[in-house]
Amino acid sequence: MFINYEHENHVYNVSVERRKDLFFITYDNAEYKVKAEEIKPGHLKIKLGDRTIKSVITKGKTDKFVFTDGNVFKVKNVELTGARKTKIRKEEGNLNSPISGKVVNVKIKNGDKVKKGDVLMIIEAMKMEYLIRAPFNGRVKKVNFKEEDQIEIGQNTVDIIKKVGT
Amino acid sequence: MFKKILIANRGEIAVRIIKACQEMGIKTVAVYSNVDKKAPHTQLADESINLGDPTPIESYLNIPKIIKSAQDAGADAIHPGYGFLAENPDFAQACKSKGIKFIGPNPDVISLMGDKIAAKKTMEKAGVPVIPGYHGKNQDNASLVKEGIKIGFPLLVKAAAGGGGKGMRIVHNDDVLEESIESAKRESKSSFGNDIVFLEKYIEKPRHIEFQILADESGNTIHLFERECSIQRRHQKIIEETPSPIISQELREKMGKAAVKAAKAVNYYNAGTVEFMLDGNLNFFFMEMNTRLQVEHPITEMTTGIDLAKWQLKIANGMELTLKQKDLIQRGHAMECRIYAENPSKGFLPSIGTLEKVDFPTGPNIRNDTGIFTGMEITPYYDPMLSKIIVSSENREESINKMIWALSKYVILGVTTNISFLQKVISHKEFKKGNITTHFIDNYFKDWTIAKEGLPINAIIALAVYDSIHSRTQEIVRYKESDPHSPWKHVGRWRIGVEE
Repeated sequence: MFINYEHENHVYNVSVERRKDLFFITYDNAEYKVKAEEIKPGHLKIKLGDRTIKSVITKGKTDKFVFTDGNVFKVKNVELTGARKTKIRKEEGNLNSPISGKVVNVKIKNGDKVKKGDVLMIIEAMKMEYLIRAPFNGRVKKVNFKEEDQIEIGQNTVDIIKKVGT
Repeated sequence: MFKKILIANRGEIAVRIIKACQEMGIKTVAVYSNVDKKAPHTQLADESINLGDPTPIESYLNIPKIIKSAQDAGADAIHPGYGFLAENPDFAQACKSKGIKFIGPNPDVISLMGDKIAAKKTMEKAGVPVIPGYHGKNQDNASLVKEGIKIGFPLLVKAAAGGGGKGMRIVHNDDVLEESIESAKRESKSSFGNDIVFLEKYIEKPRHIEFQILADESGNTIHLFERECSIQRRHQKIIEETPSPIISQELREKMGKAAVKAAKAVNYYNAGTVEFMLDGNLNFFFMEMNTRLQVEHPITEMTTGIDLAKWQLKIANGMELTLKQKDLIQRGHAMECRIYAENPSKGFLPSIGTLEKVDFPTGPNIRNDTGIFTGMEITPYYDPMLSKIIVSSENREESINKMIWALSKYVILGVTTNISFLQKVISHKEFKKGNITTHFIDNYFKDWTIAKEGLPINAIIALAVYDSIHSRTQEIVRYKESDPHSPWKHVGRWRIGVEE
């Protein structure tokens, strides 16, 4: 199923697919495979690799409230309109790391031109290498990590400005 | 002992007092307004009496209604809690004249301590240090300069009619004293139409330190050490701790003696608190006396093992203190955070709404004093404090760590709270070092707003799982990867997460 969450005027489009207690969640070019259960109403225990996410979710009259890691977020499930889709496309340049691990190779530097599909960065975690690739043609605005750096899940690896007109 | 007590309050403090009564086998009567029908204090008491309209003046501040409720229920005493009628001498007097015991000091003492200038004069006479100042009638420059030099520097010149910093000057030496007085007068005249000024010693790096007092009706008076309450926003405390990180044993004894002297000077009885201002050089000055149980009383209970609410009842019932000053010891360290329904990103504006989910952190040496529940409506009628969390540990560092942990597990969904803000304050490096003053929030958290970093990935994953579990249709077939350039194409079957 596809879901759009709105939080502070920003829309996050997520897809999720369930197989018993396994959930395959896709968001921002990355897929997260998690094992999860609702231990009591609204209380979720989610295993992602060697990490455990604990979260409490409840539905209000119009909003959902999510508690995780000591913080509360108010979100709304929304249907996407054309205008909002455009807004999201702009955000594609953000390449978040889908794993916590170590940066083992950085292939680019600030200002480099990149082509769609180029390898930008290699992250190693759990003895696997993960390649960060350019999602479109563009120019590197900022490389946020260097070799040997530790990177956490969800952190932005590289900022790319999309080349216009191709 | 009393047979039945009416609690003239609501929220966590009413719950706290009802529980103390229940432990002692005393029947309880709650009063409630129309919006508090389902409130914990209403439900917990043996009897509950409806006061009607939720407006405070029609309910929790309405003396005739509350006295009548006590008479109808046959209560022999009234506990006022804090706030509302707790420091209203007319209420204490009304109880007295109807033969109902008011659990607190004598109405005359409440009245005296409520008059800040009279209280200061009484304390000065009794030999308790007060902030040196001149509030006299001689307003010519020469007299004011003479008085100013007598008080010493730094000196605060402030407009008698002042407010908002207008007509206020901080003077550091006598060279500029006269011109500062003149300019304060000019500003005061143009802002308030009145050029009368007061002089007061300016307190640098002020800390708010208060001492807990217990006194019986025979005049036995003890103090139960200090509480450091310097962390305040809008002149209201939000984090309190004991012992204070700055106070030595020697200073504690000195201040404790002064607090006892202050209480004895007015023949104080029952629980009370003497508030001092402590300056950067550890000089202390009497500020005021609170003639009631304080919000932050649990930190004293956690470190002394003494139940202050129960002692209030015992003292009011005529019992003498069995506790001796020399036998009192404080063990470890305790800290309290006040949880407010308010938005720290918007100037601590109170927030209202439904509490969609409430889940308190529990664990060793963690105490939750609350008057809320899942489903409760937070209305604009009363103070936005929802609950208090109190932790204790062997030392300050461990209390801080425990509090950070507890706040990270504190779930209140539905209204904006100050929980994230409290976590940030306690985690601040200057707070951890104990370098705190009453200006701490203004110095380090002025215009603080919650970081707008968007939804973290953990929240997105949790939402997706939640919606997947709660969706009616279960999708079994994986959707086809539509993006041929997805990086996942290059990593084969491997996925992040649990092994298959």
